[in-house]
Amino acid sequence: MEFQEFEGKTTEAAIENACAHFQVAPEQLEIEIVSVGSGGIFGLGRSKAKIRAALRGEPEESLLPLAQEILEGLIEKMGESAQITAGQEADRINLKIETEDAGLLIGKQGQTLDALQYLVTKILAKKTRRKVRVSIDVEAYRARHHQALAHLALKYGEKVKRSGKPITLDPMNPYDRRIVHLALQGDKDLKTMSRGEGLYKKVVISPVRKRGGQEDAAGPS
Amino acid sequence: MKELVKFIAQALVDNPDQVQVKEIEGEQTSVIELKVAKEDLGKVIGKQGRTARAMRTILSAASTKIRKRAVLEILE
Repeated sequence: MEFQEFEGKTTEAAIENACAHFQVAPEQLEIEIVSVGSGGIFGLGRSKAKIRAALRGEPEESLLPLAQEILEGLIEKMGESAQITAGQEADRINLKIETEDAGLLIGKQGQTLDALQYLVTKILAKKTRRKVRVSIDVEAYRARHHQALAHLALKYGEKVKRSGKPITLDPMNPYDRRIVHLALQGDKDLKTMSRGEGLYKKVVISPVRKRGGQEDAAGPS
Repeated sequence: MKELVKFIAQALVDNPDQVQVKEIEGEQTSVIELKVAKEDLGKVIGKQGRTARAMRTILSAASTKIRKRAVLEILE
């Protein structure tokens, strides 16, 4: 898939140009914004908006062997041996690893697994010039982790209700935070919010009646 | 270990031929130096160092297997 650059006064105009070029609706284009451009002051320092666009619609199935190959390469270079099966589910590629040394590939709190998943996604995006969601799992770790985390969230939720004091959990990545938020979402007596900066934020579970702390970063993120 | 870093870095950059990886082996800890083309530096570091961190995580996992420690240094 080849990307081409388009320009316009605004990004919208640039996208229109791209659509005119390919003769398709904007939904059928993969669009990357290179620069948004600026109006400048009194016409000075004006710059055009620039985008890169390409046609969408390459069959996703062709990505499966490639994704599998990338992960196999990574694991092999790590000095591990594993069997990988690839499958597809909606817009996501699922890679399952079977190995003797699952613990090593999972890592502390799934860190190694997350790192592998992140890198495979990145490499795949680089090779195919498109963003595809990749999920990597070892021995159903993700499902087990999800359950354990939801269980933990409920347990702390009960504790907060009993004591009436907010509890701050350890820093977690966005996926894990989402699990916690969702687990407690239905509970009217509790509220959850993420606090902190960067990728790893802390979830604060607090009782609804008593306000706990400032709401500097409310809601799931 | 060197091959692992090279494999990842080459897959991420625009100029794979300019990826250089040097391994300085110590008794317990080896230092792996990664050098890429200037315009590719951001690609191996990533947003808020996320790519670099992912590489380091995988590197430490791989090195525990051989009972060693490996440190990744990205050279500018």
